[in-house]
Amino acid sequence: MSKIKHMIGKSIEKPDARDKVTGQALYPGDINLPGQAYMKVLFAERPHAIIQDIDISKAVKLPGVIAVLTAKDVPVNEYGLIMNDQPVLCGPGSKKPFAERVRFIGDQVALIIAESESLTEQAKKMINVEYQDLPVISDAREAKNDHGKLVHPDRESNVFCHYQIRKGDLEKGLHEADVIIEGEYITPVQEHAFLQPEAGIAYIDEEDRVTIMVAGQWTHEDQEQIAHSLDLPPDKIRVIYPAIGGAFGGREDMSVQIDLALAAWHLMKMGIHKPVKTIWSREESIIGHHKRHPYFVKTRWGATHEGKITAAEVELVTDGGAYAYTSTKVMGNATLMCTGPYEIPNVKVDSYAVYTNNIPNGAFRGFGGPQGAFVAECQVNKLAEAINMDPVEIRMRNLLREGSLLSVDTPMPKGVTIDKVVHKCAEKAGWKNTDKGWQAPAISKKNTDIIKHGIGFACSYKNVGFSFGAPESCTAKVELHGKDTIEHAILYHSGADVGQGAHTIFIQFMAELLNLPLEKIHLIASDTARTGQSGSASASRITFMAGNSIVGAVNNALKKWINNERPAIAEYEFRPPKTTPFDPQTGKCQPNFSYGYVAQVVDLEVDTQTGKIKLDKVICVDDVGKAVNPLLVRGQIEGATVQAQGYALMENFIQKEGRTYTPTLSTYLIPTILDIPEQINSIILEEADPIGPLGARGMGEMPFLPFTPAVVAAVHAATGIWFDEFPLTPERVISKLHEKG
Amino acid sequence: MSTHKITVKINGGLEQVEVPSNMSLLSMLREKLALTGVKNGCAAGECGACTIMMNGEPVNSCMVLAVEADGAELVTVEGLTTEGKLDAIQEALIDKNAVQCGFCTPGILISANALLTRNPNPSETEIREALVGNLCRCTGYIRIIEAVKAAVEMHKEEA
Repeated sequence: MSKIKHMIGKSIEKPDARDKVTGQALYPGDINLPGQAYMKVLFAERPHAIIQDIDISKAVKLPGVIAVLTAKDVPVNEYGLIMNDQPVLCGPGSKKPFAERVRFIGDQVALIIAESESLTEQAKKMINVEYQDLPVISDAREAKNDHGKLVHPDRESNVFCHYQIRKGDLEKGLHEADVIIEGEYITPVQEHAFLQPEAGIAYIDEEDRVTIMVAGQWTHEDQEQIAHSLDLPPDKIRVIYPAIGGAFGGREDMSVQIDLALAAWHLMKMGIHKPVKTIWSREESIIGHHKRHPYFVKTRWGATHEGKITAAEVELVTDGGAYAYTSTKVMGNATLMCTGPYEIPNVKVDSYAVYTNNIPNGAFRGFGGPQGAFVAECQVNKLAEAINMDPVEIRMRNLLREGSLLSVDTPMPKGVTIDKVVHKCAEKAGWKNTDKGWQAPAISKKNTDIIKHGIGFACSYKNVGFSFGAPESCTAKVELHGKDTIEHAILYHSGADVGQGAHTIFIQFMAELLNLPLEKIHLIASDTARTGQSGSASASRITFMAGNSIVGAVNNALKKWINNERPAIAEYEFRPPKTTPFDPQTGKCQPNFSYGYVAQVVDLEVDTQTGKIKLDKVICVDDVGKAVNPLLVRGQIEGATVQAQGYALMENFIQKEGRTYTPTLSTYLIPTILDIPEQINSIILEEADPIGPLGARGMGEMPFLPFTPAVVAAVHAATGIWFDEFPLTPERVISKLHEKG
Repeated sequence: MSTHKITVKINGGLEQVEVPSNMSLLSMLREKLALTGVKNGCAAGECGACTIMMNGEPVNSCMVLAVEADGAELVTVEGLTTEGKLDAIQEALIDKNAVQCGFCTPGILISANALLTRNPNPSETEIREALVGNLCRCTGYIRIIEAVKAAVEMHKEEA
């Protein structure tokens, strides 16, 4: 066999790129089927109310309207990724207790199915809903303690998740400290703003399966949730992902999936065999799917003059919004990561996720990590300032290392490299490791009366894969075809390519492991009728989990090949080392099986007349274990950095009394090409993860984490002001500058 | 709603289309002519995913009524390829990994193509300015800028 190895580490072309640059790639909204009907959702558009009555009589009489579905038409009127606390459709008539309540503006009330899109719009206006408005619960901190006003009346409290960590002796640790820094921080909501609004098409396939073509992140989870609501066995539901127009966590929960399935299934029961299509508008997308959690944080940390962090106490309160979504998991990460990648002997953390009438919050790149990192890194940078120590030096004295105990009192998984990452990043940014420890470079750029320069440092760690005892596995199936030699191979895999290039990576693993040219590898992807359970494209897990599953499946198939099976077909389910949930009292647990490590330096200038911040340079050092495709890795670093830039500086999602004031891309501003840093210097480290596939770690989220605290540190260096709340819009910066005088 | 028969020259061919008077050019392209390479990201002129060439200028097709395009010459992403051969800017976007989810890509390609047509040797600032109307949430734009620069070089080599 000729040697064509080394497909790993090569920036091969993405297999979907040609279709994407010629306009041939089909996203869910681009797919049309003969005879299709259209569906529109009637959203509540009010934050808290009881629906007394829904009158659809006029709407259903409109010629061309096929059906109008309400709560009574949903067999099991509830869904949710971690708990079934959300009605599919709000209103009277279903068995779900309190389903007649709407709890946020994006709650869905009715589905209108008609022959054309314009008819659905017309019919929607003819539905008369009688609401009795309720007081709006919009502040998570108040809702946490208020047991009189409940978002979910069948619960005793608005708090639906609480974790605590008790490690060492907090008071003793604070007593040992020479300085104590107290802080109160607020992190903002962030909207995913993926470019492709939610869309999909549903039909009954040749095996009578309710089939939904949609853009999601986890085919089998979609399938399970749809099956639950329709009260059908999962194998009667088929979920297929065509091209996906971005996700970032924003497609982890249901949007159009259950609606479409319900519509196609309902029509079938009416004897009408019509596919049903829907496309959400941008505004529907923005009110209709979850956001990144805002956090309200109180904390105090202590350190000695020698730079040893002795204690950290953190209270985290997050607004879960109207329904749980993935809040409990996000809170798990934040609870762990709010004390940073540091070994701290005495830790006390209390965290609470609270229901309100705001848009639900859930998965978004980093998944609680960015909020945790913001708290930890700001605290460490302030401690460094208080003891007059370099920010890199204080980190070097406290970083997690091989064998270090986490706040949850268990050792880190092997392969800890945060010290190497910090070292590399500091060096690249001009820090010197002297006899007196690390020393920051002098700022070479001259300040003027108006323009002030600063650089800031931050570092973070982020888990790869599901945490805290969540079931974690990934399945691949491989077929090897040929006679004497393997002529071609087929991989069946559900792992979603949301744009990050997952499918490119899968093909590279196959080509490398089988020593086949790329064109001999065929991928059948993301179709629950053909591909096995992969878990979601989230938690920086796909390269790690899918890679390991492919390694296992190829090994099994090769064994069969050697035994002369033709074709040689094998499946493999990869299961990583087990994780465990927080102990309710101490928080002790084995939270994760793998981590990625990252450090950043941000070099910026502040215009003190306008409050505008201009980013000159970002240095990002990311240990990815093994860069399977270096150009894709760069794409992730740059994309995450600019998304984090939006989070830190621009993106200001405004909700008041449960209503959204930024439901468009002209009111909710994300970075344009004119906003981005002059330069992003991505430095890739490859320190193999001992259990990663060919050494690879996850990396998609990591560069997001340290960016905001690095910006805040740089702005402090430039202006002397610590910002404990962001985004650092010119308005916020200028008002603080004026306050300072 | 009254309808109108209009004629457009699109991607080199002539098309007659009957359109309602309130239909956007974007809807006409996607729904009447099946040119689904033109993307709808906001229908409000905010994201640039629906950018096409109209009489030699890039426009947000969501902000143009179909009837306004009567007699116009239009180029969509589907029209950038000649006889199966990709244009330099398309090749460059692939080479530089400037395509992630790809939903903004058709609009980016048209805006970049418009820039290179009127200015074959743009500076980096000119590249950034030409693409300011095209939002991308995946790439952070760096690879896109690299790709446009690479396309400039490819054009120079061809010339």
